[in-house]
Amino acid sequence: MILPFVAAGIGLGAVYAMSGVGLVVLYRSSGTLNFAFGALGAVAAYCTWSLLRADVPPVLAWAAGIAVATALSFGYGGVVAPRLAARDRVVRAVGTLGFALFILGCIGLIWGETIPRRLTLPTDHLFVAMFSVRVTYTRLAALGVAVAMVGMIALLLNATRVGLSMRALANDRQISSLIGIRVIRVDSMAWLISGVFAGVAGLLLADMVTLNATFLTFLVIPAIAAAIFGRLQSLTGTAVGGFAAGVLESALTSVPTISSYRSGAPFVLALIFITLVAGRRSMAVYE
Amino acid sequence: MQLFVWLRNLAINASVVAIVVLYSAAVAHAAQPSCGLNSGKRATGTPIPIGSINGVTGPDDFSSSAKAADAYFKCVNDNGGINGRPVNYIMADDQWRPDVASQVATKLVKDDHVVAMIGSNSIIECRANAGLYDRENVLVIDIGVAHECFTSRNIAPVNQGPRLSGVGMLRFAADSLGVKKEACIAWNIPGAMDWLCNGFAAWGKKHGVTVQNVIVDPGSSDYTSALLQAAGGAPDAMLVAFTKGAIIQSLAAAEDQDMGKTYKFISLASGYVVGLPKAIGTYWNNRFWTQLEFTPLDGTGPDNQNWIAMMDKYGSPNDPRDTFSQGGYLAAKMATEAMLKLDPAKIDRASVTEALRGIKNVRTDMLCGPWYFGNGTRHNANHTGMIAVAHEGNWKPEGGCIEVDDPELEDILAAEKSSVN
Repeated sequence: MILPFVAAGIGLGAVYAMSGVGLVVLYRSSGTLNFAFGALGAVAAYCTWSLLRADVPPVLAWAAGIAVATALSFGYGGVVAPRLAARDRVVRAVGTLGFALFILGCIGLIWGETIPRRLTLPTDHLFVAMFSVRVTYTRLAALGVAVAMVGMIALLLNATRVGLSMRALANDRQISSLIGIRVIRVDSMAWLISGVFAGVAGLLLADMVTLNATFLTFLVIPAIAAAIFGRLQSLTGTAVGGFAAGVLESALTSVPTISSYRSGAPFVLALIFITLVAGRRSMAVYE
Repeated sequence: MQLFVWLRNLAINASVVAIVVLYSAAVAHAAQPSCGLNSGKRATGTPIPIGSINGVTGPDDFSSSAKAADAYFKCVNDNGGINGRPVNYIMADDQWRPDVASQVATKLVKDDHVVAMIGSNSIIECRANAGLYDRENVLVIDIGVAHECFTSRNIAPVNQGPRLSGVGMLRFAADSLGVKKEACIAWNIPGAMDWLCNGFAAWGKKHGVTVQNVIVDPGSSDYTSALLQAAGGAPDAMLVAFTKGAIIQSLAAAEDQDMGKTYKFISLASGYVVGLPKAIGTYWNNRFWTQLEFTPLDGTGPDNQNWIAMMDKYGSPNDPRDTFSQGGYLAAKMATEAMLKLDPAKIDRASVTEALRGIKNVRTDMLCGPWYFGNGTRHNANHTGMIAVAHEGNWKPEGGCIEVDDPELEDILAAEKSSVN
């Protein structure tokens, strides 16, 4: 019976879609693949956990967690990113990976992984039953956030002046600065937006997956597979690809012979996609 | 009259002061850990290098046993050391990678010249380094996780290990919870299925309990599918054979599906962590059982109280007070007591190896039975455990000591019997 696993896959699909979109969202607005998305989300989740433990009202705790992730992202965008601006995209992406590892180290130093932790949200107790499987509102909210991220960024990029500047910046930083775009300011705004998304996604992922800094940071690995479906550029493609990969991975549980290896499904799917589909087109990642 | 009142008040005040002083002294004494020579003098001799390898950075942090051993050795060093020589306790992180485990073990054994390995706790360390320890005549008293920790002549775990822990849990589930069919949900890592789940199945076959295996990738974000797969076999109980992080993850997924009302959820001793019942929440009140390899964490026996005092004084407040921490404390204590019998000038690897191998009949309130190292070709002295259930954010003990009747233990039990006779 495959349908219950498909329903269970909605949650996993939401995880991959949100992580994938988080990876690509900055790429669209600033031309940088953000491997620190998961780590920034982890910071938000850990801060929120600490504040909730100190009996801070939940709304304030969530807001504070998101604010910390946003501030860190904004800080990196304002201090480190400009110094890497002249380097090629691979170097900029690796810079974010370094930032992710730095955050991971800081989380280890401050919180460690020795105390059992769990972050819960009120939406965990509300659910929709689908093929005898409960799909919690948290998982649906994660899907909603992924879709909202895609929609908001699309709107920002296509319908606002700032968005136009971001597109120009993502396309060519040097020409953008020559035509009068305030590169640092626009870039910082992109990092700020990415930080807000990372914070929100972090809270949801910590609830749905686990409150573990290493785990959340390295969710970028399956996210890369999701991003490949969007050829590292299309947010819609990434969200759809990530969701499909999650549902497929879960559905494979019902096939006993390959069930044990199902976590490789997103990568196999991405490989097939590259070979059959993207191989015929120009991959956006190449400069 | 006034003099009488003054004298009466003086007597009352003096009594109050005396009571406060006596109480404070008693509290201070109770909180003072006992270790080694208990001399109160710091050891200043040539340090004795002792090593430990732990999975720290990776899917979970397994350093609590080494942190407890470190606390114990710090206490020993503050109290005369090993007859004047302090212990230089070197902790290494294997990052859950066999290549790193081999690398750090080689450094400890060949460069740092450790005399023994005490309090290690890692998923992969024994598998990677058992051969090295045999070749270099290094003895290990550790927290055994992998099968190889229980099949080597030079490694003697203080704990039961996941296999016996699971069999003990299954025995309790069958006897006390009426479980006839169990799903063993474990990671797709070497030993998890063939040694653990299949071992539970072997026990179950003898006792009328069916065991169904469900494999999960250690890096998986999807425990819901694994639980649904397990539920497909209509078990009475689900054994989540993971470390604490993944136990929380899998129980959260089970709670989302409201499975706690239908199935009994049980775990190995890795679930017995202070704070875990609080982390998983009240939904799991009397619905999640775990096995204990040592006495309950709040046990009132002298050794357990000493472990608590030791961690309070020499550990960090953030060091977990879990079952592995108890094991690390015991390993360090037993090694210290064995080394104290040696001439400090002659302490080297050979003499320590001989001393550790000579450890026998250690009785402590932290273990249900006696512990020994001995000359056996493999070691599993701890084979009696207890059970606790999550209750109101805490662990509540369920019953007393349970002897684990794992078919794999036959050689150990036979050797114990012959040594008694």
